[in-house]
Amino acid sequence: MAIWEDPFQKLSEDLKTTLRPQREWVAGRGLFLLLGHFLSGAGAGTWLFSIYYGLAAGLMLSLGVVALGGVAHLLFLGRFGRAWRIVRQPHKSWISRGLLSMALFLVCGTAYLLLERIGAVSGALGGVLLLLSLVGMAGILLYKGFVYAVSRAIPFWNTPLLPALYIAYGVRGGAAILLVAAALGVGGVELSSLEFIKLWVVVSSAVLVLIYLAGMSSSGVASRRSVSQLLGLRGSASLAFYLGVMLLGLVVPIGMGLFSHYGTVLPWVLGLVGVSSLIGDFYVKYCVARAGIYLPLSGEFPAR
Amino acid sequence: MRYVMVIDLKRCIGCYGCQIACKSENATPPGVFWARVLKQEAGKFPNVRRSSLPLLCMHCQDPACQQVCPTGATTKSDNGIVEVDSDECVGCRYCMMACPYGARYFNAKERSYFGQGLNEYEKVGYPNHPTGVVGKCDFCRHRLEKKLEPACVANCMARARYFGDVDDPNSEVSHLIREKRGQQLHPELGTDPSVYYLPA
Amino acid sequence: MVKTTTEIWEDEWIPSACSICYNQCGIKVHRVNGVVVKIEGNPDSALGMGRLCPRGLAGIQMLYDPHRVNHPLRRTNPEKGIGVDPQWERISWDEALDIITERLSKIRQDNPHKLLFSGCVPSIAPLFVGLGVWRAAYGTANAFLSDGHQCGNAEHLLAGTLHAATTTNPDLAYCNYLLIFGCHVGFSGYYAYTTMAQRMAEARSRGMRVVVVDPMMNTAAEKADEWLPLLPGSDGALALAMLNLLLNEYGIYDAPYLREHTNATYLIGEDGLYVRDGASGKPIVWDAVSSMPRVFDDPLLKEPALEGSHKVGGQWVRTAFDMLRDSVREWTPEAAAAVTTLPADTIRRIAREFGEAARIGSTIVIDGKELPYRPAAVIYFKGAHGHDNAWGTSLAIELLAEVVGASNVPGSLMGCNPVNFGHPDTGMPHYQPTVDKDGMLVPGLWFGMSQPGTTPPPFPPRDPRKPRFLNLIDLVPWPISTFLPVITNTQPESFGIDYKAEALVNYGSNLVMSLGNPETTVNAFKDLFTVCINLWVDETAEALADIVLPDTCYLERLDPVPVWYHHHHPVGMGDWTCQIRQPIVPPAHERRHFSEVLLDLANRLDFLPDFQVMLNLFYGLKPPYALDPEAEYTWEEICDRIYKGWFGEKRGLEWFKEHGVLNWKKQVEEAYWKPFTHARGPIYFEWIEEKGRKIKKIVDELGLEDWDMSTFKALPHWRPCQALQPREGYDLQAIYYRVPFHTFSMTYENPWLDEVSRLTEPYSYFISINTETARRKGIKDGDEVWVESADAGRVRGQVKVVEGVHPQVVGIAHNGGHWARGMPFAKGKGVFFNALLALDLKHTDMVSFTMDCDARVKVYKT
Repeated sequence: MAIWEDPFQKLSEDLKTTLRPQREWVAGRGLFLLLGHFLSGAGAGTWLFSIYYGLAAGLMLSLGVVALGGVAHLLFLGRFGRAWRIVRQPHKSWISRGLLSMALFLVCGTAYLLLERIGAVSGALGGVLLLLSLVGMAGILLYKGFVYAVSRAIPFWNTPLLPALYIAYGVRGGAAILLVAAALGVGGVELSSLEFIKLWVVVSSAVLVLIYLAGMSSSGVASRRSVSQLLGLRGSASLAFYLGVMLLGLVVPIGMGLFSHYGTVLPWVLGLVGVSSLIGDFYVKYCVARAGIYLPLSGEFPAR
Repeated sequence: MRYVMVIDLKRCIGCYGCQIACKSENATPPGVFWARVLKQEAGKFPNVRRSSLPLLCMHCQDPACQQVCPTGATTKSDNGIVEVDSDECVGCRYCMMACPYGARYFNAKERSYFGQGLNEYEKVGYPNHPTGVVGKCDFCRHRLEKKLEPACVANCMARARYFGDVDDPNSEVSHLIREKRGQQLHPELGTDPSVYYLPA
Repeated sequence: MVKTTTEIWEDEWIPSACSICYNQCGIKVHRVNGVVVKIEGNPDSALGMGRLCPRGLAGIQMLYDPHRVNHPLRRTNPEKGIGVDPQWERISWDEALDIITERLSKIRQDNPHKLLFSGCVPSIAPLFVGLGVWRAAYGTANAFLSDGHQCGNAEHLLAGTLHAATTTNPDLAYCNYLLIFGCHVGFSGYYAYTTMAQRMAEARSRGMRVVVVDPMMNTAAEKADEWLPLLPGSDGALALAMLNLLLNEYGIYDAPYLREHTNATYLIGEDGLYVRDGASGKPIVWDAVSSMPRVFDDPLLKEPALEGSHKVGGQWVRTAFDMLRDSVREWTPEAAAAVTTLPADTIRRIAREFGEAARIGSTIVIDGKELPYRPAAVIYFKGAHGHDNAWGTSLAIELLAEVVGASNVPGSLMGCNPVNFGHPDTGMPHYQPTVDKDGMLVPGLWFGMSQPGTTPPPFPPRDPRKPRFLNLIDLVPWPISTFLPVITNTQPESFGIDYKAEALVNYGSNLVMSLGNPETTVNAFKDLFTVCINLWVDETAEALADIVLPDTCYLERLDPVPVWYHHHHPVGMGDWTCQIRQPIVPPAHERRHFSEVLLDLANRLDFLPDFQVMLNLFYGLKPPYALDPEAEYTWEEICDRIYKGWFGEKRGLEWFKEHGVLNWKKQVEEAYWKPFTHARGPIYFEWIEEKGRKIKKIVDELGLEDWDMSTFKALPHWRPCQALQPREGYDLQAIYYRVPFHTFSMTYENPWLDEVSRLTEPYSYFISINTETARRKGIKDGDEVWVESADAGRVRGQVKVVEGVHPQVVGIAHNGGHWARGMPFAKGKGVFFNALLALDLKHTDMVSFTMDCDARVKVYKT
């Protein structure tokens, strides 16, 4: 299926299948949602590292990327104009929580950044804002995985590994953005340690991905089908998985990371590695969404 | 008071009458089926079984869709009916990810069946289906208000569907569920559906 | 449904009758602000009892289909054929009727038989005003039902002769064991579908066992307790083996029934005909008590012998029963197993189960009357009889019911309502079977609404004559319908007919798609001046029509008593219902009701008086309500007279418009009429043997080589149909099957029904091939393939690999793949099965004019 195709036709045809894939959150305008998840996660990760390294430009970049992610989220909605209503149910809905986190992060983060500009960041207010922005950031990193993980309808998503995976990828995305920024000459900070952290996160992500897939391939029929969508040669997301997630997202970053550890790598190469891992980051979201298969509606009712 | 529907799979003949009864009652747009039938095949020739599973919103007592709805557009009434307020829905489709029964549809844009504008019938029916929001079966609430059964129940040619109050231990549905071992779909999910199936 | 805030100035429920298939179920239509918003079943009607099938529910989308034809059209491109653009020109009704009148008037003066009249059954009420009344008044015998191979000629013939009815249905109210051969009674489109579905559910719920004999795991087989997948066209072999087991091995048969209600005891001479009494000419039986031959109705006859050979009048004669027993002996379960591919043990078990379930000798009391109780029924339709071995196969299946006495008694196979005493106030409509001089059953009404009707029943048979009619119903004067003009019109001289048809009036049928291979049909009719009256400019109009007239759909027209008391009512006890079909909305654009057009044309063609006389016969109208041949009436006035003629002055058209239905109770003597009569059904079809010889003589004189006389037999028999015979390179048999959500090919234009097939049902738009067969051929699910017939065309479609089809069979639902410009929605959907069917004598059972509706094929990837 072409990536931008209106999912209507396929959605309808799915109705006669036993193992029905979800499409609303991946096809057509569903891509905006994935983009939103990707951008907000990576943006939040950028905040983390920018605070850690004290990178003002990184903070700005982070806010920008998260804001962009927020806009992408809104573009996905059927009724854009009513988007504000999403904040109403934080006591139960992870989407509400996510949007509130994003709002908190953007407001406090922007305020923090302004204070930082005028040099008043070290006061109590600065501390509170920093804390709140970190809370928002954590919320952003956390919520996506939980949005998926609470859906018992889609067993492939219904695992605590998914939040862990998305946090890892968010953090890694942050590092990758900073690497890209550095390569483009933004930030001006020595990032060699960042690359090390990033390598560490990439390797853990890889381990998480493997644990996740292994776990899923040994559980129910729906999640097995999900795994085969990624790993199977004719799987609906196998190209995205092997090229995007594995090659660009894991092999290249790990390889180059190891290489940079033992040799010298030019900043622009690191930048390219950053881009590569960012693409991988997006494709993780894409693949997880694409491989979402609902629980089959049969089984417990023998025909006679 | 809790409305439930009981579907007797022994009686059901898999004719798709419920699907069309629902379509014509609710004027749902193309590709949207508040009621539908899932046909499946199992076994090897000549020991083959085909089965028909009529589906609709299960009106769960612990609805996963309501749990995840970020706006509160999905609510559960005192009579057990789970409804979507299309004025409140923002069309995030989270409920569709959460519903294990495939009962929900997102009405992306206005579509006519014949593809050249709405015909006379669609002009009357489609304003009930705003675009950009999620919709689903409401047990034909408008019919219940007139003391009529839901359209799929009232029309079923095999008289395979029963509708009533399960809180009343003497109702027909209560009897059927008790005596004919009514089962819910995916009870392990803890959603407690209000649609029960009697074994084929 | 209406939740909108628009002001509601009208909100009405109007009673009427459905017409999306031939069943005419009672409906209530919801009209709001002049728009039809819902169709429901009418709970007051015995035809459906408030329930509708998916097709009936979807009727709204037929009414509001923007692709309907809305005004008369004239072809301006003189070239005709498949794919040719007719270059339609819009004309007025007056112009159209002038053109038609001029042509038909000339033909009528010259030779009225040069007009062919065809139609299809879903629009059954106007069709029979045309086919039964107008056509007869015009004076052409060349009628044919172009639902083509979809009709049940052999079944209708046996329904007429064994059950005095047009059709059959099982009595599900009492049946405990139902054996279904290639049919979907109670599960999918079949007689009285919406009511039978309710009864089927009820019967299965109380434990009735259902065994389905079908190569395809279709709607009925899905719900069956047991599925017997046999090869298409081999049903007769199975039935013969079961007969053999019952009669010769298990000794399970109903001797009293056979003696009293069949011709089993009649003595058959060496010539295969009845031994007749010299004086009275009546058939002779052997009196076992006095050991002498006697006339079958001799009051001195003590006990007619069921078995034995006797010397009568110098020749050895045998009872018909003995002949039957002997004739089935060769059909051992093993012999049937080899033909059907079913295990012999299964055949043995099913025969025993069926025989035992019949509970021979038991009785039941219904409404205070003690009746034989035979709760085992067989039922069969197209899957079994739709082959060129139709006669022998259908007879074998019917005799399963006859030998155990499970015929027209509670729980058994029943003729659909052959007895009707009429409404208690007026005795109308009225018909009941009679008994002929041989003691045999004669239907009271064959075609028509009340006695006398306009068409004689198949029995007693008329003598075959050298053909003068293109449909050959004078040569073989009993099939209910025929597709034969497709064959005869291209070569009338070889049938001894001295003319060709010059015009074709085609009502509501898409015969280019419905008969068989479309090239054959177009070739046969392309030189005819053709008028199509239909809802769409379909493939037939596009390929053949000179004039297209826009018809009304059933929600736009008035049809008096759109009910055939014969087959629209369920069998057994219940209500009789008389209905109305009335316009829910006025006909949009320039659409006109065909019955009104016929009235107009009869007037223009100067035979209005004959038309009105025929209407009187068809509806059984007597003074003061009979139409005055010389007077002129509007269609509404005619309808009013029909209702008043039937139900009295108070219940005219206005009454029916308001009330919709009139019900009265069926009496037990109507529902279970057989035990109340002395009529006998044949287990030995002596007359087929006798008339067959006369037909053979004519056929030999004509030198018709392809005319197969081998099926003209008095007893059941079996030979493989064409499609079952091995052919080099063609390793599979293609069959079509029906689903509950389509009627023929028409409903492919209905978007709600199309959606069922396209989106929520996995099989019907695909070519079903067994997993093992597909694997062997390297075909995968979703592959595009050609199915190529050994004798006709080929069709293309997508494969669905399934387990639920016999490995030697490919299954195709209905008849899709429309291509006409005028049905853009239906275009290309499903698979055009009929292209595979050869239209020729070789593929036809000449006793019943049944075509072989399956085909020898090969399947390969595109």
